[in-house]
Amino acid sequence: MEQKEQTKTTAVKGTDMARKVRGLVKNIYRSAHEAKAQGKKVAYMMVSSQYDEIIRAMDVVPIPTENYAGLCAAKREMDRFLLKAEADGYSQVLCSYARIGLGFDSLRKELGGIPEGAPDGGMPTPDMMLGSSAVCDPRYKWFQAAGRYLDVPTYSIDVVWPPVDADLKAVRDHYIQYQKEQFQGLISFMEQQTGKKLNKERLWETIRLSDEAWRLWYEIDRMRVAIPSPMPAQDHFSVMVAGYYYPGMQEAVDFYQSLYDEVKYKVENKIGVIPDEKYRILYGGGLPPWHTLWIFNYFESFGAVFAIERQYRAYDPVEVPSSVKDPVEFLAWRSFLRATQFYEKARANSGNPTVERLLGMIDRYAIDGVVFHACRSCRATTIGQVHYKNILGRYTDIPMMQLVSDMVDLRDYSEAQWKAQIGAFIETLAGRSAR
Amino acid sequence: MKPASIQLDELYVQRDKHAKELRDSGKKVIGYFCCFVPDEIITAFDMVPYRIQGSQNKAIDQADAYIEPMACPFVRSCFNKALKGEYDFLDGFVAPHSCDTVERMYNIWCQNKPAPFNHLINVPHMMGPSSEKFYRQELDYFVKSLENWTGHNLDTGKLRDAVRLYNERRAVLRALYDLRKSDPPLVLGTEITTVLVAGMGIPAAKHIELVKQFIDEVKGRPLPQTQKLPRIFIWGNELDDIAFIKLVEECGAWVVMDDLCTGTRFFWEDVPETADPLDGIATRYLYTHCPRSNVPQTKTRAGDLENRYSYINDFIKEWVVNGAIFYIVRYCDTCELEGPDLREYLNGMGLPVLMIEDDYSTSTIGQLRTRVQAFLEMIG
Ligand code: SF4
Ligand code: SF4
Repeated sequence: MEQKEQTKTTAVKGTDMARKVRGLVKNIYRSAHEAKAQGKKVAYMMVSSQYDEIIRAMDVVPIPTENYAGLCAAKREMDRFLLKAEADGYSQVLCSYARIGLGFDSLRKELGGIPEGAPDGGMPTPDMMLGSSAVCDPRYKWFQAAGRYLDVPTYSIDVVWPPVDADLKAVRDHYIQYQKEQFQGLISFMEQQTGKKLNKERLWETIRLSDEAWRLWYEIDRMRVAIPSPMPAQDHFSVMVAGYYYPGMQEAVDFYQSLYDEVKYKVENKIGVIPDEKYRILYGGGLPPWHTLWIFNYFESFGAVFAIERQYRAYDPVEVPSSVKDPVEFLAWRSFLRATQFYEKARANSGNPTVERLLGMIDRYAIDGVVFHACRSCRATTIGQVHYKNILGRYTDIPMMQLVSDMVDLRDYSEAQWKAQIGAFIETLAGRSAR
Repeated sequence: MKPASIQLDELYVQRDKHAKELRDSGKKVIGYFCCFVPDEIITAFDMVPYRIQGSQNKAIDQADAYIEPMACPFVRSCFNKALKGEYDFLDGFVAPHSCDTVERMYNIWCQNKPAPFNHLINVPHMMGPSSEKFYRQELDYFVKSLENWTGHNLDTGKLRDAVRLYNERRAVLRALYDLRKSDPPLVLGTEITTVLVAGMGIPAAKHIELVKQFIDEVKGRPLPQTQKLPRIFIWGNELDDIAFIKLVEECGAWVVMDDLCTGTRFFWEDVPETADPLDGIATRYLYTHCPRSNVPQTKTRAGDLENRYSYINDFIKEWVVNGAIFYIVRYCDTCELEGPDLREYLNGMGLPVLMIEDDYSTSTIGQLRTRVQAFLEMIG
């Protein structure tokens, strides 16, 4: 049967709270514009750089440029930015988030203001850019390149983690020390830019709030072991906004508290995402296809629900030793512990921390199959998927597949091919459950 | 005795030949990626440093089962060779955390083709005193791992000697580059790449000897034709095959200077001789001019570009360059983000730039001919 080409991008969600996330997203850009109007400082920043609490404690309003790129894709408003960046000389294979961000900045400069119709009012001109080497290379290179359009102070920090085969006892001290010094450098820079000193009590407070939010989020995910699944991956990719874009804010804690209550209610009353849950899928990794989130519902139409995911909640809560009395040192410790939390397991078993995490999920969430999403232009979250699949295959025989597109660039996506691939995958799942 | 040019050609073609011979004679050979693993340390342990290379003229036919095709084709090509057993002669595999792909590759390589010794050196992307200290500590940890594995302690005297030895090699290579300053240059771009690549898998002392002889040979040969041709500077990442440079020279140009991972980037600056040699090594390697490293911003955009690229400005002036060609191996995000900035800077100096992105494959190089020709015609 000829499938009609889908035009919508978003997915039907499972929880009420996920439907409220849109407001949180709008608020990111609205509050940045408001802050600008009030003469407060706003900063471009990179998500997951381990420095969010510092930015909040310095009363600087963050503008997450990667999220903005994802938002443009979800609204199918990315093409003019991508094309602009490409016209300015950026390669078609460069991280498409960076291309959207650079294209946006380029257009804003050319037009002397925010391009008309830019989603959620666009990003205001930042007072500073704060890059990092956490997760990938484009995260500091992008802001360096953006200097072409924005002559604003820019500062980037390293976020380091050791390889899995390192002797953690031997390297821990210098990793944590370096991380601490990197944060301190950032703080000095921000103090200069804002003319204000960092208040350490305030930093402790933002840390407490962010840890509380992440703890609640962790508890929510623990409840998702329930059968039928109370909350699917498409909700996760919305609710992560609170954890990644509001850490250090009461809003995040309140949000996850309400989500916790909702998921708990669903679990207790056995309210599943889909009425007839046949297969439970693990989203094994890769940025989600923001341009085509309804694909999760497409899986559901076959009775397959995405029960849990590795992407966008990269770590579980960690226990920083109580002897750490300085909040900056606390952040350095936390960063190290987060990065290495699956290392011991890995060394005892598969040799690979990501595989360990996935194996744990497959077991705990009673997973029937794994889906990865390879994004052509995001090396950081894509390279390794085939490798994880290979190693996982030594420990489990559940079916796995890799869908390929890009996180935003639609030129890399074929709906027909995806549907065929998904169809075959579902058949394999069906074949197995019939056994 | 064969002329040095012939010996270098042979080593360029059979890159592992000498390393294998040394290994058969009982030496340990340590393979490594990129420009951030100090040869000096490996040499001080009486082992042979071997710069891992790919092959631009062979298809990547096995690596796809282990690593995604959107990873840097240079790294995939290297791993493809490893899968085929072509790197089985390595006793050690050392990766610096140079870029996302190399860092990911480290795990994939070790889990599928482990060498007897495997190690990753974390290299800061940032620069500054705290990064220097951290990188130094990473080198200490590397030394400690080598000590554990070899059962020998590092001999600081030997390390000092190795620093001097490699500085001598650097000086000899710079002297070779000096022969490119005249018009016409005394040595071709393809010859330079041959000499450099040939030296990547042999002990420095041997390379120094060959390069010195080669310089003498060059000085002794008749002057090349004096026809006026554009003088080109090449910028990019890994170009361990002469094919592209040959193409540019065939189109009617002299390739006279470069900033490549396989060119000046890996050897240009000396290691300062410090009381503790590891301090000088750490400083020298951390400040390697690679797009994967972040030069801290200075106040204005113009000042920033000057700060990042003044060394290239010196190259351009001293080697009297008329045009720049960027050859970027596709999927290197850091190069892709750096290219437009450098182009802006060079254009600002009045230098025309041709930006090329390619697949690290000689099979696609022919398709670039028209673009290169048009560019050279434009320079005139
Ligand atoms: S490469 Fe991937 S992780 Fe890095 S900025 Fe782009 S989208 Fe984000
Ligand atoms: S330019 Fe790319 S390939 Fe070369 S050393 Fe840097 S990161 Fe590695």
